[in-house]
Amino acid sequence: MTARQTQRALTRGRPLLYAAYRQEQAIWNTTTKKVVTLLLFTIALSLPIFLNRDLMGVASLVVVYAIGGIGLNIISGYAGQISLGHAFFMGMGAYTAAVIGGVSTNLVRGYELDLLIWLPLAGLVPAVIGWLIAPLAARVRGLYLAILTLGILFIGEHVFKEATWMSGGSGIGRAPTTVVLLGFDIFQRRTIVGLDISAIGMFYLFSLLILVVLGILARNLARSRQGRAFAAVRDRDIAAEIMGVPLMQTKRLAFTISSFYAGIAGALLTVVLGFTTPERWNLLLSIDFLAVVLIGGVATISGPIAGAMFVVLLPRLIEWGARELPFISTTVGSNQFLNVFQLQRILFGAMIVLFLVLEPRGLYGIWIRVRNYFKAWPFSY
Amino acid sequence: MRTSSRGWRLAVAALGVAFIAAACGDDTAELGTGVTEEPCENPAGGVSNEANGCIYLGILSDLTVGPFAPLGVEIQRGQQDFWARVNADGGLDGFDIDIDTYTRDTEYNPQNHSQAYRQIEPNIFALAQSLGTPTTEAILPSMDEDDIIAGPAGWWSGFHFADQSKGLIVPSGYSYCLESMIGLDWFQENGPAPIAKVAAVGYPGDYGGDVAAGAELWAEANGVEFGGFLPTGPNALVGTQDEAVRAILNSAANVVVLGVGPAETAEIVGKVAASGAPVGSILFLGAGPTWNPALLGSPAAPALVGLFTHVSPWEDFTGESAGHEAMRAAFGDATPINAGYAAGWVWQYPIKAALEAAADSESMTRATLRSVVDGLTVDYEGIIPQATLGGDPNENVNRTAVIGRPDPESPTGLTTLASAIRGATADAFEYTQACSGA
Repeated sequence: MTARQTQRALTRGRPLLYAAYRQEQAIWNTTTKKVVTLLLFTIALSLPIFLNRDLMGVASLVVVYAIGGIGLNIISGYAGQISLGHAFFMGMGAYTAAVIGGVSTNLVRGYELDLLIWLPLAGLVPAVIGWLIAPLAARVRGLYLAILTLGILFIGEHVFKEATWMSGGSGIGRAPTTVVLLGFDIFQRRTIVGLDISAIGMFYLFSLLILVVLGILARNLARSRQGRAFAAVRDRDIAAEIMGVPLMQTKRLAFTISSFYAGIAGALLTVVLGFTTPERWNLLLSIDFLAVVLIGGVATISGPIAGAMFVVLLPRLIEWGARELPFISTTVGSNQFLNVFQLQRILFGAMIVLFLVLEPRGLYGIWIRVRNYFKAWPFSY
Repeated sequence: MRTSSRGWRLAVAALGVAFIAAACGDDTAELGTGVTEEPCENPAGGVSNEANGCIYLGILSDLTVGPFAPLGVEIQRGQQDFWARVNADGGLDGFDIDIDTYTRDTEYNPQNHSQAYRQIEPNIFALAQSLGTPTTEAILPSMDEDDIIAGPAGWWSGFHFADQSKGLIVPSGYSYCLESMIGLDWFQENGPAPIAKVAAVGYPGDYGGDVAAGAELWAEANGVEFGGFLPTGPNALVGTQDEAVRAILNSAANVVVLGVGPAETAEIVGKVAASGAPVGSILFLGAGPTWNPALLGSPAAPALVGLFTHVSPWEDFTGESAGHEAMRAAFGDATPINAGYAAGWVWQYPIKAALEAAADSESMTRATLRSVVDGLTVDYEGIIPQATLGGDPNENVNRTAVIGRPDPESPTGLTTLASAIRGATADAFEYTQACSGA
């Protein structure tokens, strides 16, 4: 009997018994996880068949927010370094992509190059910038780090506004990059195995693929020696240093990788939105992503995905729900007490506060509680 | 066996459902996206005619915090009343109009505009309003793909030329560029002093850019020095207009053409008046969207009354035409708080004409709607002369304007000094391409 067969024989019927360290550390360490992941992926893959273009836009936004959320979770969740500069790195990625892959106009520059060139660069350029400014950020922590990254954000916003060849300028903006892979325009309505898929549906599938790849990479990173170093730095940096974890290098790596993810998310985000202005990359966007991480679940991969769904879908759910409430106006400009757009903002703020106070582990925490309840059933008390 | 016969039953049922679905599809084949056989969710004016289907029109406007929000809300109201009147008259060839369900506030932000467009596009037949030039430009490529036509809330010259507007924008009246020329022509003849040097202040992009291009073309044609385009932004973006004021004072221009929002107009005129420059040494000519009667309640009111002249494409609410009478009947006894109401009303005539033309061809699809726009004749019930869309803009564009001056006594805040005027420079201008953004 080989070691693997022994392991299988041992664990059959005992789903939580790990007979090997490798098995415990596997990405999908239980059968349930495997099945659920596969099921969710299948559902996600089939969405373009069922949803209209509008909802596909929302679904694409969820995917892009999830990528950005995972990126922020690497620096803030796993490595414990608060960053308010996420929007800046996203903007950097967006403009890198737009300049390399976008179309030139009389206002902005664009070289219309292939996705194979702009997509990696959309991640690498912010990553290099992140790597360069990380030594500054690595010297401070907590509140000081928040302020420092806020400073980076403001400098970035100013640069974006002034560099009109890149951004189109304040109040004007520019179109995003084209999404052409080796001559194949991804943002184009297509018929695939007899199914009519809209342009945004095609882009959603592409973004989903990127999310899966980047999600698995992030999960692998978290399981690696570096991932454990991140956690050690987060939990107590001095202790980590005493144990031999190079503090600067670890923080720098987290910053760089997080910036890479942010850049990719930024580039994809502009395609989903269809247009981008320099004002977009501001503090509010960074806070959106903090909400994705905090509501979803800190230091997890599935957390930001759930968080992204929550943050993106909440406004839409409120909009639908508000149509049923007579005291809420669904049109702007009427004299009713509240309109749906105001309600969205109020509820969004309230939800963030409630999560921080009542369930700091976010949606992931709620899921763990639900799971444990059923695991222990009928002795769930 | 049991399983297999159940499988068969299921397959047959599925096939049946598919056939029914296909049959339903055939029934509605002539109705494109945004047109339904079912009654409207929110018919304009709350008027739903029995047996009428519904045409859904979208609105992308500035309704809360953007620089044109006070105007945007009134523009929307004007549009609602326009279509309420159509619905009250029995609808449009068997369809009522719904203009509320797909109204979105985009805050004069091109990105929000694009995002909102993508949200409502799958459900609308056309855009009854797309407010702003840079915002509308942001969605033009998508509109082109989706065959969506739009009534612009703005007067960029590019809207008149198919290479810029892609034949999708149905404008009313002149363009900002012609507006500057007509206004300056009038000013040169009737203003308190001859124009020695003219400058333009405006938002970057093709609103301010078009206003400035008109001023520059006028200066060139009349041998007057042009003091340049001094760009500024809405206060929401730049905080204050101090930079613009400084630039105006440094430019040594005695007439400044403005292409900004109302609040920014008041701030610029007020601050220039308070700067210590001799009274009347710098006068202002404001494009259509620069004015809001509420400015007469601001501290800048005396400066505006003394220094500001307004150019608009048509007479405001109190005009004499049949169209004006109709809008007064629709509005009721009061007067709208600004000229947005009349503008919103006027901008709907081309949309209505296009919808009627599409209905006449018995194909209510976006592609048909797009195809009927070129060469379409629009009757404005006398508010402005009848116009032909598309074709040769040099021939078809309306080159008349209305000149007004702030007046606290007038119900609209403006006294009309001259209406339906033409300008020699504007008339002689060869209008063969967009003045800006080409």
